[in-house]
Amino acid sequence: MSNYQKTIGIEVHVELKTKEKLFSPSSNLYGNLANTNCNIIDLGYPGTLPTLNHEAVDLAIRAATVLNCKIRTKMHFDRKNYFYPDNPKNFQITEERTPIGYDGYVEIDDDGEKKKIEILEMHIEEDTCKSIHSKERTLLDFNRAGVPLVEIVTKPCIKTSREAVLYLEKLRELLLYAGVSDCKIEEGSMRCDANISISNTKELGTKIEVKNIGSITNVGLAIDYEALRQEELISKGEKLKEETRRYDAKLNKTILMRVKETGNDYRYFPEPDIPYVILTPEHIKKVQSEIPVLPSIRRDKYLKAGISLLNSNKLIANKDLSDYLEEFENINLKTASNLLLGDISAYLNKNNKSIFETKLTTHKFEDLVKKLDEKVISNKNFKDIINDVMEKDIDIDTIMKDKGILNLVDDNQVLEIINKVIAENEKVVGDYLGGNERSLKFLMGQVMKESHGSVNPKIANDLLIKTLDAKK
Amino acid sequence: MNNYLDLDIKSIHELLVNKKIKVSDLVSEAFQKIDDNKLNAFITLDIEGAKKRALELDEMEVPKENLLFGIPIAIKDNIMVKDLRCTCASHILENFISIYDASVVELIKDAGMIIIGKTNMDEFAMGSTSETSYFKAPINPWNKNKVPGGSSGGSAVSVAAGFTPFSLGSDTGGSIRQPASFNGIVGMKPTYGRVSRFGLVAFASSLDQIGPMTRNVYENALLLNIIAKHDPKDLTSFETKEDFTRLIGQDIKGMKIAVPNYFVSSVVDDDVLEVFNKVIAMLKEKGAIIDYVDVNHIDKAATLYQIIAMGEASSNLARFDGIRYGLSLKEDTLEDLYKKTRTVGFGTEVKRRIMVGSYILSGENAKIYYNKALQIRDDLKKSFEHIYENYDLILGPTSSRVAYDVNINHDDPLRSFMDDILVMHANMGGFPSMSVPMGMISGLPIGIQIMGPAFSEARIYQLGSFIEKELNLNLKAREL
Repeated sequence: MSNYQKTIGIEVHVELKTKEKLFSPSSNLYGNLANTNCNIIDLGYPGTLPTLNHEAVDLAIRAATVLNCKIRTKMHFDRKNYFYPDNPKNFQITEERTPIGYDGYVEIDDDGEKKKIEILEMHIEEDTCKSIHSKERTLLDFNRAGVPLVEIVTKPCIKTSREAVLYLEKLRELLLYAGVSDCKIEEGSMRCDANISISNTKELGTKIEVKNIGSITNVGLAIDYEALRQEELISKGEKLKEETRRYDAKLNKTILMRVKETGNDYRYFPEPDIPYVILTPEHIKKVQSEIPVLPSIRRDKYLKAGISLLNSNKLIANKDLSDYLEEFENINLKTASNLLLGDISAYLNKNNKSIFETKLTTHKFEDLVKKLDEKVISNKNFKDIINDVMEKDIDIDTIMKDKGILNLVDDNQVLEIINKVIAENEKVVGDYLGGNERSLKFLMGQVMKESHGSVNPKIANDLLIKTLDAKK
Repeated sequence: MNNYLDLDIKSIHELLVNKKIKVSDLVSEAFQKIDDNKLNAFITLDIEGAKKRALELDEMEVPKENLLFGIPIAIKDNIMVKDLRCTCASHILENFISIYDASVVELIKDAGMIIIGKTNMDEFAMGSTSETSYFKAPINPWNKNKVPGGSSGGSAVSVAAGFTPFSLGSDTGGSIRQPASFNGIVGMKPTYGRVSRFGLVAFASSLDQIGPMTRNVYENALLLNIIAKHDPKDLTSFETKEDFTRLIGQDIKGMKIAVPNYFVSSVVDDDVLEVFNKVIAMLKEKGAIIDYVDVNHIDKAATLYQIIAMGEASSNLARFDGIRYGLSLKEDTLEDLYKKTRTVGFGTEVKRRIMVGSYILSGENAKIYYNKALQIRDDLKKSFEHIYENYDLILGPTSSRVAYDVNINHDDPLRSFMDDILVMHANMGGFPSMSVPMGMISGLPIGIQIMGPAFSEARIYQLGSFIEKELNLNLKAREL
């Protein structure tokens, strides 16, 4: 094992799930046509002034709370001045000197070993435009300009890539459940940068930043790659320079973007257009009281219901499914979770839908779970009808009837077949009544044959025994 | 030609109410006068729009209680008026057409006032002579060889020359009051937050304030009644509702007035002091209680202004980069596009201030200069508030001298700041302050400055109107 110690700090930008932008009344929506959610303020028109979206401040209070941060009660915004086309005013409004949250931590569980990842600070700021580079030109989409963000900065206290991954998974889970953000890395609503240095002495090594890593898993891979790369360079006697790199997932490599110029000068100063924001203890308390149940409470419930740890974590990570489950009071959680994480997840992924966008009403889902538990339908049956279940406004019984899975529904129809088989096999029935248990298997075979294999064996078997026993 | 616009506002209103004249007559008269007197007061005239609006108003019943209905007004060219050019007197915005109305402009339009055009000014309001304008500089109607003051020079000229009875200016460090003094009119810089800044192109955000420029004190208060309103689009604006004319005409006996010793020190020309002292003597005679006081940090305002205003300006003007609007000089690289556009687009004074401001905010300088300046500014504000604990108002000359020769400030950028050393305190403290004519020196008018605690405009108007009535100057610009 290497005698170099890694030191890792992580910066995460998370887009806040507000209706409007941070400093203007434009809609905060992802995926709309370019430049449709922007106004003169987002465009940095002369004469415009920022207003402050208090919903964003409240979501930041939530975030600070679940990250165990201290919350500043008097804060101001600052201007970070730099020229870039994606920065409409050529300054970004942020909180340089008075971040809303500070001195927090996130507790991770590394195979039973608990560790606190310390949060240095968490501040509110506005997002930039999205630059779209096409050939010679760069296009700007101002829909993202002014979207509220919180940036969460850890202390350089992370020692391994595994800790980094566990931290990010936990962070994502906390923010998702507090209703702070969608935390969709693929849509850019959560963006991770890692600062990595290695050293074999007490002094810290040269800090190298890897920006905008595309997934949590890749953060781990990027850190491992980067640490190895740095070690190789150092062992060759090279001196590292502070630089910014990006991670290429296909190559599993980090690639140089730019060498850091000494003393980046952002000419920070307090934003004169936004007065001090005062947060009263009453207000903070009120916001905190509105934070939804945290994932750990749900996880405990799942484990208690007999769901495996793996599946419990899968449900937690897929908040829509977990939220969907919250709508039921008396349901077999284990069956329900298998159903959700199995065929239903496959269907949702394939069709790129949220469970809330399907026709799977709570009533239908309850019925499905019940029928599965009672073996009224099989998993194979469900695969056959899932499209109808998810897409049609009709109940499960009707779907089953339409698909010819009718026997399972109607005892009388099964009974009809049984009576027919009994009538046609008097001798074998006589054998059974005389104590020959094997005759039952033959009769069951006939029932299955007669129904073309579409009856539920258990129901048919129970009903057959019941009918025969009545003849005793 | 008719001279209805020379009448006082009540008389004009009466003529309109009684259908003796039409709004269109007033508008035509304004354009006629502007055309007859080549004073470069305007950068853009809205002849078509104003006449069209006048015809619309001619069809309406004149509301009896609205004295400003149908009255022409000029707007400084750093305030947005939809569909009109807003140049800030700069090459970089020479062809920039505003796509929205500033909040004050909405209020003015709602009141039925007619916007005649956009007035000339120092580029981005940076200067005190209006000579830094990219366009031909405005001319002082009292003497063509003298500057009209600035930065709201065009707005002051428009009122002094009788083109429009009203205009709007903006004041960051005296830009309403100094030109008011140089042109013999009344100019008010209201309390910071009284008037929305939404739609005012920012120079120094923590100091900028829009205010009325008028022929007399009463009309000034009338216009402030229209434009002082809380605006949710400007977080620094206040919820206030009052009639600013309400104290006008009341006696000033027993009013307690402080005169800072600095305002009557050697920084002020002797002939200006002479006029000022006469006014003080008159006020004493009329029963005002006047004391001379020392105010801590009062001599530091110009230094603070240089640091704070330029620091903020360097950031506020960063958005003019050739990417989204305004002048854009295409070059091969992004950096060259920025450089070329801003080098060609901005004038010398603006570039100088951006450079100084950027330097002031850079690295350690921010601590040494900017943060320190904010502290002293706070102390300065407190020392004025301390005076207000014992006095109703503060008096002093508006400017240290009368309007001076054109083209003399060019070699000495610091000199133009010295013009404003008596008026910057109001911006630093956010206090309201008004200049009212107090006399004439060698054929040029000079103003007296009345400053008060935050939200004391009505009291300022009371004293201003009293001085105006007692002095009865009846100023009329002579070059016309």
